[in-house]
Amino acid sequence: MLTRRDIIIKWSSYGVVSLGLLLLFSLTLRGTEILGVRMFLPPLLVGVVASVEDTRAGALYGFAVGLLCDLTLSGTFPCVYTLSFTLAAVCCSLLAKGVLQRGVLCSLAVTGLTFFFLDAFNMLSLWLRARAPFSEMAQLALRETVASCLLLVVCHPALLALHRKFTI
Amino acid sequence: MKDFLSKHGMWILAAMAAVAVLLSVLSYFASTSTLLRNAAGVALSPFRAASEAANRWLEDKRHYYQEYNDLVEENAALREEIAELRANARQVERDREENAKLRELIGLREQRRDFDFESAMILERSTSNWTRTLTLNQGTAHGVAVNNVVVTSEGYLIGVVTEAGLNWCTVQTIIDTDTELGALLFRTGDVVIAEGDFTLMREKRLKVTYLPPDTPLLVGDYIVTSGLGGYYPSNIVIGTVERVETDDDGLAQYAVLAPMCDFDTQTEVFIIKAFDIVE
Repeated sequence: MLTRRDIIIKWSSYGVVSLGLLLLFSLTLRGTEILGVRMFLPPLLVGVVASVEDTRAGALYGFAVGLLCDLTLSGTFPCVYTLSFTLAAVCCSLLAKGVLQRGVLCSLAVTGLTFFFLDAFNMLSLWLRARAPFSEMAQLALRETVASCLLLVVCHPALLALHRKFTI
Repeated sequence: MKDFLSKHGMWILAAMAAVAVLLSVLSYFASTSTLLRNAAGVALSPFRAASEAANRWLEDKRHYYQEYNDLVEENAALREEIAELRANARQVERDREENAKLRELIGLREQRRDFDFESAMILERSTSNWTRTLTLNQGTAHGVAVNNVVVTSEGYLIGVVTEAGLNWCTVQTIIDTDTELGALLFRTGDVVIAEGDFTLMREKRLKVTYLPPDTPLLVGDYIVTSGLGGYYPSNIVIGTVERVETDDDGLAQYAVLAPMCDFDTQTEVFIIKAFDIVE
């Protein structure tokens, strides 16, 4: 059982590591295109953390990352990241607890699920506003998900190590 | 040896004195060096050569170190001078670029006296695959407001401010899916709509719809802002027609428009904060 102090340290550490990864990503790979698309890191952070933490904590983390993204990045509509990351975090947590065992495959699955939620909102928004073609959007979403999953090589071990440090 | 010198020293000294006197007399009467002197010179010449060589070597070394030290000092002074000149050259280059930009701006201002410009630097380009936006370093503190138009120093349209903070603003570029602008076909004056398209956004293109049925579009035709409604200034170049295509339903045509500006290489842009409405 973690004390209040441990919980504060734990989530501060998650915050610092997440910001560090985002900073590292923005300094090195932000403009890099793979499969013709740019990689996107925040959904990976949400997916991995939500899969290892309990549902409520994961949802709060997803909400925080989503809010940060909405405040700093441009989106297809104003609260797209907050909405999609919170929902995705809840689903990822449930999926990781009930269906999958924690590991690389689980991280891949939850990352895919987070991108699914985010891209579903993006597609719906663009379709409603500009009647953008679904097939094109689906292709972009798929390529973005696959390209971004490569970032799990760094995110998965870093966040999992942090989780283990506070649970064992 | 000591006994020999004490016994015969006086005789030896007298003999040497006699030889010296003889040599003096001979050298006085002879036109060339005497035999003895010549012999002595021949015998000494290797030593002289060696001595001279050693002296020359030492002198060379002394000069080398002396010159080396002088050169080091001179080199340091020249390096400083080069650094100073390079700094000056860079400053001149910066001044020249700034001058050129200001001249362009003055030219733009002279062309469009109705515009109130604010120059801005691009801070960030959107990282999302779903939108194409730019973040600039000017905001409400500098008089920037939502719906201000952003152009290059040449006066080509980049986009429209969609969000303005205190010292930053977000610009929705003309290739973004949400863009929709009233436009004119410059050659004919026909009114059209320039709008972003999700598929074309990835090619950094946008499309022109509501094409006039009886006006054939030519590749390279300029499309400019119409200014109708007074939301945006008129006659700002959006781009040129690249090709004409038919809609998926096969009923209407649209033109693919290549923007005049390159969004990836732009660093400095100009925000049009105010303009006179020309209907």
